[in-house]
Amino acid sequence: MNKQSLEIIINGEKYSLAVEPNRTLLEMLRDDLELTGAKEGCGEGVCGSCTVLMDGKPVRSCLTLALEASGSHVTTVEGLAQHGELDPLQQSFIDHGAVQCGFCTSGMLMGAKGLLLENPHAGAKEIRNSLSGHICRCTGYTKIVEAVESVVESSKEKR
Amino acid sequence: MSNYALVGKNMPRVDSKAKVTGQALFTADLKFPKMLVGKILRSPHPHARIVDIDISAALNIPGVKAIVTGHDTIQRKWGVFGYTQDQLFLPADKVRFIGEEIAAVAAIDEDTAQQAIDCIRVEYEVLDAVFDIMESLAPDAPLLHEDFPHNINVHVPINVGDVEKGLAESYYVREDTFTAVEDSYFQGEPYAVVARFDMDNNLEIWMPNAGPHMKAKPLSNALGIPLNKVRVRKITIGGAFGGRSEIAPADLICALLARKSSRPVKIVYTREENSIATRQGHALITTIKTGVGQDGRVIARDITCYMDGGAYSSTGPIAVSVPFLCMEQAYKMEHVRYNGYRVYTNKPPRGMIRIHGRAFACGVDTQLDMIGDHLGIDPVTMRLVNAREAGEFTNTKSHVASCAMKDTITKASDRAGWKEKWGKLPPLRGIGIGCNSVQTGFPMGIRGGSQATIKLNEDGGATVISGVVDNGQGNDNMLVQITAEELGIRPEDVQLVTADTEVTSSDPGAYSQVSTFIGGHAVKNAAENVRKQLFDAASKVLKVDPDDLMARDRMICVKGSPTETGIPLKKVIRMILASGKSVSGQGEYWPKVDPKREWVKNPFGQMCGAFSFGTTVAEVEVDSETGKVKVIEVTVAQDVGFALNPLVIEGQFQGSVAMGGQGGILTEGHVWDKGSVLNPTQLEYKVPLACDMPKINTIIVESNDPEGPYGTKESGMSIAMSAAQAYAAAVSNAIGVYMTDFPLTPDKVLGALQNKMELETPNQNEDVMEKTLELVVPAV
Repeated sequence: MNKQSLEIIINGEKYSLAVEPNRTLLEMLRDDLELTGAKEGCGEGVCGSCTVLMDGKPVRSCLTLALEASGSHVTTVEGLAQHGELDPLQQSFIDHGAVQCGFCTSGMLMGAKGLLLENPHAGAKEIRNSLSGHICRCTGYTKIVEAVESVVESSKEKR
Repeated sequence: MSNYALVGKNMPRVDSKAKVTGQALFTADLKFPKMLVGKILRSPHPHARIVDIDISAALNIPGVKAIVTGHDTIQRKWGVFGYTQDQLFLPADKVRFIGEEIAAVAAIDEDTAQQAIDCIRVEYEVLDAVFDIMESLAPDAPLLHEDFPHNINVHVPINVGDVEKGLAESYYVREDTFTAVEDSYFQGEPYAVVARFDMDNNLEIWMPNAGPHMKAKPLSNALGIPLNKVRVRKITIGGAFGGRSEIAPADLICALLARKSSRPVKIVYTREENSIATRQGHALITTIKTGVGQDGRVIARDITCYMDGGAYSSTGPIAVSVPFLCMEQAYKMEHVRYNGYRVYTNKPPRGMIRIHGRAFACGVDTQLDMIGDHLGIDPVTMRLVNAREAGEFTNTKSHVASCAMKDTITKASDRAGWKEKWGKLPPLRGIGIGCNSVQTGFPMGIRGGSQATIKLNEDGGATVISGVVDNGQGNDNMLVQITAEELGIRPEDVQLVTADTEVTSSDPGAYSQVSTFIGGHAVKNAAENVRKQLFDAASKVLKVDPDDLMARDRMICVKGSPTETGIPLKKVIRMILASGKSVSGQGEYWPKVDPKREWVKNPFGQMCGAFSFGTTVAEVEVDSETGKVKVIEVTVAQDVGFALNPLVIEGQFQGSVAMGGQGGILTEGHVWDKGSVLNPTQLEYKVPLACDMPKINTIIVESNDPEGPYGTKESGMSIAMSAAQAYAAAVSNAIGVYMTDFPLTPDKVLGALQNKMELETPNQNEDVMEKTLELVVPAV
C-alpha cells in the first residue's frame, strides 16, 4: 500500500511521517515511534487501554487511523508529565494506590485527563461514568475513581 | 502497638511511577534488532486427526524466516504432574479443541506472517467430539486420550469419618445440585512472548508469568536443553489471576521459532487467542448432601463434583481439590466424603482461577441458607455455628494455627447492618453473606520454598535477589518494604533483581498466594542475616551487645536511644568491606507442609503454612421487569494475619469484589456453540465496569499468624470467593428463590421470578378468596 504523508504534533514534538492508509494511530505510536505507553488490550475499542488525547479529547487510538490524526495535537501518557513534574493525576494515582498491574493505567489516565480538561469540576458520578469506557481487571475501580476525585478536590482548594 | 517504620503502614507502590508515566515495559512493548513477528495456526476442529501439514507454499513467501510444526519438537508431553502429562505443544497426531496450536510462522512483519499462516495446508480426519461433562462420561463417548478411560482425567476421593452414619444421625438432611459455566481471566494484558537465543545458545525469554521458575523448568524439558540455558527474564506483567502459572504452548513455539530463524521473535496474542488458547475456568456440576443438627451444626457432608477440564490436564489434581479444601478450611464438619472428577471435553483446557469452583463455593453457602431457612436460623448464625477456629485441624489433617473467621463474620455483618436488614428489607431487596478460606501454598515438591540473597553496597544501598514475581498485585513493593524495614533503610535505597531465572534461586512464584508467606519470608530472613553482620560490626564500635542494637533511618543505634547517637549504616558497611568481607547474606524459607501429602494418593497431612479467612456481605436490589441486579453496598472483612500494607490490601479486596462477586456472579460466563466460544472478547464477555461497582466497605482483621512474616498470610482471594457466595445469597434473598446455576444473569433471575409468580399465583388467589370469605361471613 502506498504510504501517505502526515504532519502531526505528538507530546509537543512535530513529526513529518509517511504511513500506510490502514495504519492505526496506535500502531504508529507503538511500532513506528516507540511510544509504547498506550496499550492494545482488545483492538476493537472496548478496553480503553489505547486511549490518547487528540486535540485534548480522548480517542481510542486502536480505532483511529493515523491519517485521521493528521494535523492534530496528540498527547500520550509519555507526554502527560510536564517539565519533569508528574501531572496531578499521575501523582494521585500513585498516592491512592490506583495502580496495580498497570496495563490499563495509561488509558485510564488519558481518559481522566480528557474529562478534567473538559470539566475540571467533574463530580463523582461523572468521573465514574467517564471511566466506564476503560476496563480494569485488578482494582475494582474504587481507588481509580478516588484518585481522580482527589485531583478535582485539590484543584478546587487551590482556587 | 508495633514499632515498625514501614510495615503495617500505607505505602504507595514502588512500581507505580513507571506505570503512570508509560515507562513500564510489558512483553508486547519489547523490541530488538532483527526481531520477527510470530503467528500461530490454530485448529478449526474440536477433535481431528492430523493427516498432513504442508508448509511448502508458506515457506516460499518472501519475508518468511521460519515455520515450525510438531515435527520441530522433541514430542515431550506436558503436565503439571507425572501422571497427568497429556499435552503436546504443537501436536503432530491429533488436535482436541478449537484453537489448538498446529504450526507457527516467524516473518518480517505481521501481514507476512499472517499470509504465510493462511498458506499452510492441513489435512484433517475429523473425529467425533464431546462438549458436555455427562456426555463425555457416557460409555460410548469418543475418547480424548487413549490412556484416560471414560475421559476421566483425575478422580480425587476423600473420605473422612463415617458419612452414612453422620447423615443417619442428622436432624435434617438435604441434597442440592449447583452448576456454573466456564469463566475466564480476562487479564488486562493479552498473552505475549518474546524469545531469543544468544551466541552460546542460551534462551532468553519474556512473558507474563506467575512464577519464572515454574516456566523455566518445563521449557528446558520441552526444548531438551539444560535449565541454566533457559533464562526467563523479568518483565512488567498485566495480571494473572491464576491463569499464567504454567508453561504455555506459545512459550515453546516462540523459542522454537527463535532458534530456527536465529532471530528474536515476538508473539502477541489477540484478545480472542487469550481467551481460547491460554486457560479458562472450569465449568462445574456439584451435588452437595448435607446433614445438620437442630442447631444448624453440620454433621456430615457428601459432595460429588464434576469439573469440565477441557482437552488437557493443566493443574488437574489441584483444580479438583481446591474447591473442597477451601470449604473444609472455612467450615467444620464431623464426617465428609468427596468425589471430585475432572472430565475431558473437546474444549480449551482449564486452570486455576481466582474464584475457582464458584458453583462449589456458592453451592455450599446457598445450601447453608436453605438449611437455616428450614430450621429458622439466620445465615449469620448458621456461619458462626460452623465457622473454623484457631487450633483446630481440617478434615484432611491440616493444623490451622491462626484463624479469625468468626471475627470476620461478626465485623462484616455488624458493619453491613445485618440485624437491622435481615428479613426486614422491602420486596426485591436482599442481603446475603458468604465465607471462605484460602491456603497460602501447598506441598510443591522441590519448588516449595524460596531462597533470597541481599547484598549491601558501600553507599548504603541494598540489592535484593529473589525469584518472587509481581503480576500486578504489588509483590515488588512487598519485597522493598520488608528489606527496608529490616535494614533500617529507605525504600529508595532498595533495588530488586527479581523474577529472573538466570540469577535468582528457586521460588514457587506468585502461585497459590505464597509470595509474601514464602518469598517475602525468605527475603526477610536474608535481611535479618545481613543485619546481624552489621550489628556484629557495629557492636564492637559502640561497645554494646549486638542484641541491643536497632537499624532505623539509615543508622545503627542502641535501642531506645535517639537514632542520631548511632553510627551511619554506610560507615558500618565500609568497615566490613575494608576488612575484606562482603556485606551480603542469604535467607531461605521452606513452609512447614507435609511432603507426603499428595492430591490423589494421599490427600492428608499439613497442606500449607497458613490459611486466610474472609467474609463478604452484599446487599442488592432486583429489577422485577428486567431481572437486572443492582448492588447497593458490599462489606468485606478478611483475616490477613497481619496487614503489611493496608493500601495494597484494600485494593486487593476491592478488586476481589469486582472479579468474584460483581463479575463472577452477575455477568461472567462463556457461551458456547459446541466447541466454539461465542464470547471470547471484552465486547461480549462482560467484566465489571466502573459504573457497575457498588460502595465497598473494607475491614482488615489481623490474627497474627505464628509462622507468617510479621504474622502475615494472604490478602484478597478469600474475599473473591466469599464475594461470589455473598452476591449469590443476596440475589436469592431478594427474589425469594434459591438460585443454583451461575452466573445469575438477568434472564435467569427473571425466569426464577416468573416461575415463582406462577407457582404463587393460585395460592395468592386462594388466600384472597379465603380473606374475602372471612369478610363476607360475618356480614351474613
